[in-house]
Amino acid sequence: MLKQRRKVIGFLFLLGIATFWVSLSIGSVSISVKDICKIIIGRLPFLNNWIKNEPAQKYQLIILNLRLPRILLAMLVGSGLATAGVSMQGLFKNPLASPYVVGISSGSSFGAALAMLLLPGIFSVPLSAFFTGLVTIFLVYKISRRNGRVPVETLLLAGIAVGLFFSAITSLVMYISAQSVHHLVFWMMGGFGGGNWSNVLRATPFIGFGIPAIYYFSRELNVMQLGEESATHLGVEIEKVKKILLILSSLITASAVAVSGVIGFVGLIIPHITRIIVGPDHRIVIPVAALIGGIFLIWCDSLARTVIAPVELPVGIITACFGAPFFIYLLKRR
Amino acid sequence: MLKVEMINCYLENSLILRDISFQAAKGEFLGIAGPNGSGKTTLLRTISGILPLTKGRVYLEGKDMSKMDKKRIARKIAMVPQNTFINFPFTAMEVVAMGRTPYLHRFERERKEDLKKVKESMLLTRTWHLRDKKVTEISGGELQRVVIAQALAQNTELLFLDEPTSHLDINHELEILSLIARLNREHLLIVILVTHNLNLIARYCQKLILLKEGKIHAQGEVEDILTSENIKSVYHVRALVKKHPLTGSIYTFPLCFNGREETKRRERIHLVCGGGSGSSLMRELWNSGYEVSVGVINVFDADFETATLLNIPLAGEAPFSPITDESYQKNLRMIRDSEAIILAGVPFGEGNLLNLKVAKKALKEGKRVIVVNKTPIQERDYTKGKATQIFEDLKKGGATFANDEREVLSLIEKILSPDSVI
Repeated sequence: MLKQRRKVIGFLFLLGIATFWVSLSIGSVSISVKDICKIIIGRLPFLNNWIKNEPAQKYQLIILNLRLPRILLAMLVGSGLATAGVSMQGLFKNPLASPYVVGISSGSSFGAALAMLLLPGIFSVPLSAFFTGLVTIFLVYKISRRNGRVPVETLLLAGIAVGLFFSAITSLVMYISAQSVHHLVFWMMGGFGGGNWSNVLRATPFIGFGIPAIYYFSRELNVMQLGEESATHLGVEIEKVKKILLILSSLITASAVAVSGVIGFVGLIIPHITRIIVGPDHRIVIPVAALIGGIFLIWCDSLARTVIAPVELPVGIITACFGAPFFIYLLKRR
Repeated sequence: MLKVEMINCYLENSLILRDISFQAAKGEFLGIAGPNGSGKTTLLRTISGILPLTKGRVYLEGKDMSKMDKKRIARKIAMVPQNTFINFPFTAMEVVAMGRTPYLHRFERERKEDLKKVKESMLLTRTWHLRDKKVTEISGGELQRVVIAQALAQNTELLFLDEPTSHLDINHELEILSLIARLNREHLLIVILVTHNLNLIARYCQKLILLKEGKIHAQGEVEDILTSENIKSVYHVRALVKKHPLTGSIYTFPLCFNGREETKRRERIHLVCGGGSGSSLMRELWNSGYEVSVGVINVFDADFETATLLNIPLAGEAPFSPITDESYQKNLRMIRDSEAIILAGVPFGEGNLLNLKVAKKALKEGKRVIVVNKTPIQERDYTKGKATQIFEDLKKGGATFANDEREVLSLIEKILSPDSVI
């Protein structure tokens, strides 16, 4: 089993690297892998001396200022959402939970929209999103908890109710705002159109911290699947761990929402696919889900910007097209 | 050693446990019983540190448990809950290996000795063959054995069990409890078992705590506590408590609810029986509220015990002795005081032929006689035809014949109703 898992991780690494290069090269303008190598190596210290006859300036701009930050952002957001999904499913002991389904995404987008309109700043948006996301998840959790268990029906319904409420307030805020909200509307649909270096900078600390932090609790997540009391009997400080995991998941989701809007279903389907491949042990599920999530979202984004190029689709539409049927399949199979 | 001192526990603002104190020494097998809602499970959850105490202390080897960290408690106490739901497809072995959690550092993989302990626990609970099966795909009973294996893998000195066998069939129930009893004996484990099943407690536990409405009603050695009086005051049920000839441990047998008072009837029915042939009828009649008397039965015979237990007046005879004239007369007097008599399907020999003759006499005196004839008289006549002859007389004399006990009850009802024409 262990050997098999190593193989899976190795394969995913290779796939990730291939994805990275291929997605850099495709788009409304095709750029060869050779040129991409030249451009990127040309930017690295010491190695740049080897590069002769650099590609045209316009290609350099496309790669370095448009595609590279965008792909990095998609990777960060994909890994983050997948990890947050694993953590929520483990936390709620429920394979149908995800940041989107339980309403954190909507809650965070409210906070993010508010900050974008009222006090735009590099970290004000993710922090405000984090705050409202946290409020959402605690609300949903309180509403759906019955006798120490969180039944899937109430969880989904509470998530939908609270999520819809926050979506409505977000719409209200946008409606009464005097400013032009066209960019907000586009952001809300979920996409990496705003994939620039400042957004990469904005998301990296939160997601870069959140994923390893959740991984830190992977053994607890395993034991929690036996039930909260059994986990306590195995020495887990359950209330503490639950709160920390909720906060970390909200943090990741909020920063993802702040930079790329609401992208649904990644946090739901990636953990499932991961468990099908490597089993339910969180010690392996978390890194693998992060890898698959990153790769998946890069591909979705590549599709979004090439399928009807030069016009680009919001990536949320692509993930929903994959995710919704998958979600229905999971519901039916229960 | 576990010492519980005057603990109270509140749940949702109502006091569930009140002033509970007890101790469990090394190697003790302690049972906790009591009716639904008496606080059994709450007590177990409180002393294992899940629920907060509002008063009192729990000491584990002399140390105050509220000051110990969770991981240390987890190396001392393992718990088998009533139910476990697992939504994710872990293998049985992965679940058992989780029992090693309190011994492992955060990122540490299970070491060789951990895996050895896991295998050992799985072999003991006969779950080793399930090791690669997904816990989402095995039966409830199998999962429960896996959970018990996990608790054993935890390698603790105390093992708490909350209705651990409610999902198991009788075979696995006995197997698991015998295993736990063995571990209790050999490794001097302290075992605390919460269950509804008093017979399991009688068979496996040395000590018993009977809870009633959140308080300890009685505690001590099982044989001293498990009495009909205690069972009656805690469960409001009359129960037979006896020593089982085979297992040597006592067993209890609930007899009936105290619904008798509500269906009180005035009529007296006399039952002629013996050798256990009348016990079930006696109970049914008693339960339906009739005044019942029986005779003639030998002392220590099964029917005698039932009658004594139900406080039914009887005409008795010395053990293994034929019916004397004296007890025959007593029986007859009782019959004269009754509205109807029932002759149970007892085998007849020379010793109890008088019981048959008394029925004939009663019939002559105008009493209603119902004869249970489940087994034909020829097959239970050990008097060379004398009994069969009297049976014929009874038939001619107008006695009512019933095919089984259930028919007797409806016949009685018909006979005693004011407008009966039988």
